[in-house]
Amino acid sequence: MSTRWYPIYQKGNPQLRIFLPNFWMKLVAPDFRQPESVVQFHCSMEMTKTDIQNYLTKIYNIDIVKVRTRIALGRFVKEPQRQYIMKLDDVKVAYVTLPKDQKFTFPDLFPKDKKNTTIKDGEKSLEDMKNSFKNYLDRNKERPGMPNWYTI
Amino acid sequence: MSLIRLNPQSCVRLVRICYHGKRDYSAVTQSEECSEIPQYPQIYDVSPKGKIKTKHERFHQEIQNLNTVEEKLMKINMPRYYGWRCVNVCESSIPYNAELMAQYSTRTHIVKEPGLPKYYDRIISSDKLDAAVQQVKKRIEDVILFEHISHKKYKELELIDAEDHKAAVDSMGDKLVGQINRIILATLSSESPHLLEAQVDYEPRIEAFWWSGGMWPPKYIVNRKKKTYLAKYAEDLVDRRIQYHGTPTLQLRHEFPLNEIVSLSESENPDFIVPEFRYDPRVIGYNLKEFHGTNIPGFWPGDKNEFGIMSYHRRGHIDARKSSFKDENEALDVQAVFASYSWLLSQACYQGFSTFNDLTYPLVTQTVISNGQLWSFYAYQLNTTVMHSEYADENPRRNLCWKTGPLKLFETIADGKLVGFNDDVLKELIKFYGNTPQKRNGVNMTPYLGDDEKRVADIKDSEKREWLEKHYKHMVSNRPRHRQREEIDWWERIYKIYFNTRFMDSKRKQWEFGKTHSSRRYDDHAPEYIPKVLRPGGPKSKIKFRKTYYP
Repeated sequence: MSTRWYPIYQKGNPQLRIFLPNFWMKLVAPDFRQPESVVQFHCSMEMTKTDIQNYLTKIYNIDIVKVRTRIALGRFVKEPQRQYIMKLDDVKVAYVTLPKDQKFTFPDLFPKDKKNTTIKDGEKSLEDMKNSFKNYLDRNKERPGMPNWYTI
Repeated sequence: MSLIRLNPQSCVRLVRICYHGKRDYSAVTQSEECSEIPQYPQIYDVSPKGKIKTKHERFHQEIQNLNTVEEKLMKINMPRYYGWRCVNVCESSIPYNAELMAQYSTRTHIVKEPGLPKYYDRIISSDKLDAAVQQVKKRIEDVILFEHISHKKYKELELIDAEDHKAAVDSMGDKLVGQINRIILATLSSESPHLLEAQVDYEPRIEAFWWSGGMWPPKYIVNRKKKTYLAKYAEDLVDRRIQYHGTPTLQLRHEFPLNEIVSLSESENPDFIVPEFRYDPRVIGYNLKEFHGTNIPGFWPGDKNEFGIMSYHRRGHIDARKSSFKDENEALDVQAVFASYSWLLSQACYQGFSTFNDLTYPLVTQTVISNGQLWSFYAYQLNTTVMHSEYADENPRRNLCWKTGPLKLFETIADGKLVGFNDDVLKELIKFYGNTPQKRNGVNMTPYLGDDEKRVADIKDSEKREWLEKHYKHMVSNRPRHRQREEIDWWERIYKIYFNTRFMDSKRKQWEFGKTHSSRRYDDHAPEYIPKVLRPGGPKSKIKFRKTYYP
């Protein structure tokens, strides 16, 4: 049940044309590995499992088999300036199970497409040099002072 | 000399050294001590992973070396005071989309073609089968009618809760299954004498505990490992422990096991594909709970009839499932796979095998899921019980399950008469009863049990025997432990664990010294005190505490 109520009908105009309950659902990337038929949402704290099911079936016409919810505890963080400890808000997480044959994969919102960016020759050789020096350091980190000709 | 004055024994030692010390020489001997092929001690893998593996293998070896069944079963639980954190699998609560998890966590291949294996065609000739059906058919029809009428009467008298549909279906199924079993046993036991010897258990307690590997690690384990020297292995697959609880309507068991359907080597056929399910079982709705692992096939160790013939299970929970699931057949498969595997595993444990020591011969059971009208038949062969850590993917053996799918024994009851009675269903059932258990000749049934001591009851030392008996039963009762878990308050969590703001506080609680409740062993408790009057050596005796015999 939304905390906003649809107003009781009163005679006369203007009538209420739009009613917006304070229900919201946010599709989020899954926190851990889940079957492809399970979709994760964050939603408003007042929503129950039935509300979530109604929201998705009535508005978006989604077939739903089962809804599981939990309230995720907000993190504790230090205030950066004054160093006191605060708690971030809790959030209600909903795991919506679709029928087995339906799949949903969370889209890659910010793809790192490296192929299109052309690397200049100078940059490339610099990168190679950096890498080879890093490899050299890694190789020798456990034997300091060993001359470099010692290894084949 | 002052040394000699203090300790006369050192004088003796000195004399020995002075007089005989230099006379030590070795005689020339033939090299009998040297074998032709040099034998070196085992080389252990000292990598971080290798060390952990060696530690686990030593634990598994210790379990194998124990003599008695009860000690083996207790040993598995010794590392945890409060029990293992297990996936809690109940027979009658099956989540949606659980069939992959059921198959993977038991390494079961369900044969796709419906129908029992061809082995069952050889059990009983078709003439005999028809004759047997004719013998029992009339009486079974009468029983079904009688039970339905009395059920109706009970409903009218409001002796049955009309709201609780599941309980009504289950009670009806229990009555019908009990009656049908009684009729078949009474009628067919003259021709199949093994039915006379069979033991019938009503509502037995079936529990099984096993380790299943090859699962993706949960997030908190990855994060924890990343902070340690195991960071390289943080994403490695992990084991999960699974505890099953079930209550069949009734089960039949016998002194000898059923014959194998396929041989052990055949079960390694790569065509028997087991689907993968590496997710955390919580993603489909299972929960985790702490249990002492228990393996109980409905009787205690030492019972003569220790191999199952068949078990009947309830299906009231299928009707109580959410209407949106629409997966009746899959749920039945899940129930049958878990029930059959668990019953056979616990039987195997009573033969000295465990989830760490693999079977040396296959075991077979027959599972029926029924409410009186709908009957599903499953034949299950247990080929392996080892599926932890690296065996998760390397073990080539597969457990096998054949199924018929739900079949209707009759269509409806109209005007006090049965309509559409199906003889074929009865034939399948009679085939199960006709499957005769036989002694496995030339097979050592208990290779990992002691020669004389196979159960605790065989132990000669009466004190040890009684102690083990009492403490084994207490362990598998899963009562809460005497010491409660130490609680960490929220203020401690926030101001001491998440942020170290109170570093000047004195440490008072156990967790502040790094002792978690998971690191506490089962035997980590004060021994039992003996009052002075009861001490065996008299009241002045210094033996204050009773002995413990933890394996």
